[in-house]
Amino acid sequence: MMPAELCQQLLNCMINADRAGASQIVERALASGLDPLQVISGILDPAIVRLGRMWEEESMSLAQNFVASKIAEDTLLRCMPDQGAEQHKKGKVVIGNIEDDFHSLGRRAVGLFLGAAGWDVTDLGNDVPAEQFLDKALEVGASVIGASAMMQTTALNIRKLRELIDERGLRDRIKLAVGGAVFNWRPELVQEVGGDGTAKNAVGADELFMRLQAEARQGDAS
Amino acid sequence: MNSYQRVMQTLSGHPVDRLPVFAVLGAYGARLTGTGLRAMYSDAAAYVASQRAVEESFGFDLVLAPFDFSAISEAFGGETAWSAVQPPNVRRPPARCAAEAVALPLPDPRRAGRLPVILEATRQLARLYKEKVPVVAVLPGPGILPALLTGLDQWLEALLFRPETAAKLLCHSGDFLVSWGNALLAAGADCLVLTEGMATAEIAPRALFVDSVLPHLRDVASRIDGPKIISSTGGRMNQTIDLMRGLSGVVGVITGSKDDLSESRRLLGPDLTLIGNLDNLALPSAGAAEIYRMSLDCLAKAAPGGRFILANSGGDIPLATPAENLLAMLGAAAIYSAPSGSRS
Repeated sequence: MMPAELCQQLLNCMINADRAGASQIVERALASGLDPLQVISGILDPAIVRLGRMWEEESMSLAQNFVASKIAEDTLLRCMPDQGAEQHKKGKVVIGNIEDDFHSLGRRAVGLFLGAAGWDVTDLGNDVPAEQFLDKALEVGASVIGASAMMQTTALNIRKLRELIDERGLRDRIKLAVGGAVFNWRPELVQEVGGDGTAKNAVGADELFMRLQAEARQGDAS
Repeated sequence: MNSYQRVMQTLSGHPVDRLPVFAVLGAYGARLTGTGLRAMYSDAAAYVASQRAVEESFGFDLVLAPFDFSAISEAFGGETAWSAVQPPNVRRPPARCAAEAVALPLPDPRRAGRLPVILEATRQLARLYKEKVPVVAVLPGPGILPALLTGLDQWLEALLFRPETAAKLLCHSGDFLVSWGNALLAAGADCLVLTEGMATAEIAPRALFVDSVLPHLRDVASRIDGPKIISSTGGRMNQTIDLMRGLSGVVGVITGSKDDLSESRRLLGPDLTLIGNLDNLALPSAGAAEIYRMSLDCLAKAAPGGRFILANSGGDIPLATPAENLLAMLGAAAIYSAPSGSRS
């Protein structure tokens, strides 16, 4: 069976919340002689991209997105076992829900997708004060911080993190990604809280963090 | 015609002097009375004073019993996070997973945590407003209550990958919901709103709702007395709104702000009241003229079909919302309901 067909089947499993079916598709692909990395690049990646488009069209639910993140994690673990640090070759990132925000699902999905995409993710959990975000980013050497908020009231707390980064003169070295349901509803909030960028969903986080990391490295070099 | 008569007449499909208007102004009352949110949600008298301030300031067609789901999580053993600008939230749910939540003892609504505060506030509101302004109490729907006990991610994990455990938890927490809903009615609530996020397109596909949640919603609705309204909590509900017909005691549905109201009415049929659907996020950010226009748009779409209540779609209206924006909702309903020659 061609990768494109398997990709369509994997996407169907994501849509229908069929984690076991997804696992069987991956096994079938590997049994047919497909290289594990080809399973990721030729089957999983395009399925995730199409899923992201469906999310933007508002035809995907949180539950389906949740299943997709689990399928992505399962596939990655199956296809990239025992590679240790090699697995995290893209860079280090720190993520968390901003102070007073306790809606963890979106953040966890972002963490899963970033891990699946090859990032070394430090997840600080819920209700994270600005200082803790920045201190951890400096400690682990991350050039991107991802701050999540679901509500408008809590999203505004991200401003403190923006101010702290700027006060310490780190604006060019550490970039601030923001995300969560409220930013999809009110995109202008990204600028309002001082975010350097956002993604509409967990699937788009990899591309966003790649871009922001490149900007931070450029800023660091200049 | 007072607010109570206006709302009850609307729910039963009879003519009214003007269209009723709801606004979820629980936390907002603290802004009016200058009370801290923690103090307000922990003290029945302070809460009732805040609702009186809301009622006197605006005159919406309801008063609200404390809309505070963290009190439920807390009664099961969870921990609450307090904020100065929004209603309390669940800091730590009482169980780490669905299997653990199934073993949690069900709290007694008359004794556990802050639940007695909610009941006492409901009693006091009923004494003040009985048959003048409807006292409305909000509780989580059966499909979303488990998320308060485990966190949403653990709840989805169970619902999607451990359906037997999920079904057990739905039965277990459903029993609490029935006792809690009936306790609120006994305390004097005229109507209950069940917020069922699992019915919305944002949270779950229709099939998952139909297979896993709807049977429990049907069961809970049949065991809680009194009129009930199902709320989308802001999400799109047209994907499941047709399923709300025929649920025992359900008299209305609050749609999401992105739902097309004409389509909502077509799917819902003529016998239930449609409520909505102003965007919660627009309320603090748009100007009063814009809110007025949006309200008129809602009314133009949904009012001609009858059985319509103008309202925000979602939870508590943000505290930063200017009073003029709330008055604009009422103004639009008044103008719309006036004889056509006097409309501007």
